[in-house]
Amino acid sequence: MPEWLLNVLFLLMNGLIWGLIIALIALGLSLIFGVMGIVNMAHGDLYMVGAVLAFYLIPLLGSFWLALLVVPLIIAVIAAPIERFILRPYEGHHAVTMIATVGISFILQQAALATYGGIPKKMADPWDVTFNLFGVSYPGYRLLIAGISIVILAAIWLFLYRTSYGVLIRASIQDKNMAAAMGIDVNRVLIGTFVLGSVLAAIGGVLAAPITQVFYLMGADVALLAFIVVIIGGLGSLGGTLVAALSLCAIEGVMSAVLNPTLSKAAIFVVMIVILMIRPRGLFGEAEH
Amino acid sequence: MERKGIVTRFALVSLLVLAVLGVVLPSGARSLVVQIMIFSIFAMGYDICLGYTNQCSLGHSMFFGAGAYGAILSIMSFKLGLIPALGVALVAGFVFAFLLGLICVRLSEAYFVIVTAIISAVFHLLAMDMTWLTGGDDGLSTTIPPVFGLSLYNPYVNYYFVFFFLLVSYLILRRIIGAPLGRIFISIRENPRRAHFLGYNITRYKLIAFVLSGVFGALAGALYTMTMRYASADYFNFYWSVLPIVWCLIGGTGTLAGCWIGVALMSLFQYYVSAWFTHYLLLFGILILIILKVSRRGMLGYFAGRG
Repeated sequence: MPEWLLNVLFLLMNGLIWGLIIALIALGLSLIFGVMGIVNMAHGDLYMVGAVLAFYLIPLLGSFWLALLVVPLIIAVIAAPIERFILRPYEGHHAVTMIATVGISFILQQAALATYGGIPKKMADPWDVTFNLFGVSYPGYRLLIAGISIVILAAIWLFLYRTSYGVLIRASIQDKNMAAAMGIDVNRVLIGTFVLGSVLAAIGGVLAAPITQVFYLMGADVALLAFIVVIIGGLGSLGGTLVAALSLCAIEGVMSAVLNPTLSKAAIFVVMIVILMIRPRGLFGEAEH
Repeated sequence: MERKGIVTRFALVSLLVLAVLGVVLPSGARSLVVQIMIFSIFAMGYDICLGYTNQCSLGHSMFFGAGAYGAILSIMSFKLGLIPALGVALVAGFVFAFLLGLICVRLSEAYFVIVTAIISAVFHLLAMDMTWLTGGDDGLSTTIPPVFGLSLYNPYVNYYFVFFFLLVSYLILRRIIGAPLGRIFISIRENPRRAHFLGYNITRYKLIAFVLSGVFGALAGALYTMTMRYASADYFNFYWSVLPIVWCLIGGTGTLAGCWIGVALMSLFQYYVSAWFTHYLLLFGILILIILKVSRRGMLGYFAGRG
């Protein structure tokens, strides 16, 4: 295989793996918006908190898998009261939820800055194995990320489309008032969804921590990408989110062969603007009533 | 009627006090007040967007930055005078706001806030990246040419220069809100569907409000640059998009002058708290949550509503 093709192939692969992580995060964002009408500006910071916790817990617990289990639990304990006591009165008022979550975002960032410090840190690969792909050694941990992400995405799909609790969530996305009128305990669905969405962001953080720099502002970039993904895929459309995440990150990955990171972000942004001009609700978004 | 009276009286008294303060204040406090006046222009412009047409934009840092760079680049590169530079800044703000508005105003509320936030974030990244134009994080600094033979380096000139623009901005915006155009804005805020049935092109009026607020954002950016003699890519930071929302929410949306209270309180808060507490943004976040909890109409709206 010629050198350049190999190069593009690896960039594409890195892009797709990053796309799977972004898909997890954006799915959480989309779910929270779809069910609760919250524009969650703190989503990127929950991802950051997940990564920071992983930075401490993986060496402490001595096991990546244990950390992958414990971090979501901690995030759940943080997220549930945020929904119940701060965001509950504003749900459905998009602009107000956005302002409130900006406040939460500042709080999380500064809390991380105060405890973790302001210097970006790199952590060791939890699975230090390389595979030989086409004569080039490829870090096994990245393949592991892809595997875990796919398993989680599949589990989410099964949860939403094959369990009775998933039916409740989907019913609440379609029509919250009607769902409440049918006797669904919307309270529980709301807390459950917010926790689920936040946990997805945190899992993204744990998975991404070893392949990026752990930094208290690392959520900003990811939140930007996740929001672009959700806008292009269509707010509240879960399938659209998945498609948009994978294709955008693949495009960004390949473009990084010729453009610097900022310009490839700008290129993705141009894609978003064009799509919004043609379809103001994204590719798979449904019209509001 | 009662409410409007209180707001107008408040505005007149504040303007009178500000006119006197320029002479009596010590220099440290004076520069703080100059800053408050500049931000007040920004906040009033933002209020047209948020308070009068109910568009919660997260992209206004872009106009602030556009105004700042419009001014400083035309002074540095084209050796323009102060007034032409201000003109360039306003045009830059207008162009940015018009283009962004064309894309955004027709979107639904959720898309609007997200897309404005995304666009300003991307422009922040670009501004940080294009160091040859913007100076990046280090920024650009320059000497400011005199205006009508008076140097802005004289603190009194600087104070009354900014005060003049605050006064003019307030009068212009008040005139607009009192005019039929302002009535249409309010009708769109109160009930967009009914305004649409009455035959108003909502998208167009939202765009007008958006551009108007963008231009005043740019004016504030230009004045800030001229006062600081400095502009950096940080002016495009997301933080500058959040501040106007907070100012308006504290002071009271849809009151024009109300946001001055918000600006003054926030500036004092920032000035004193950031001096003794490094993580002052933490308190800023908590403050946002408290404001939302206590009153979404702001302080002036709260008092006027009771009167």
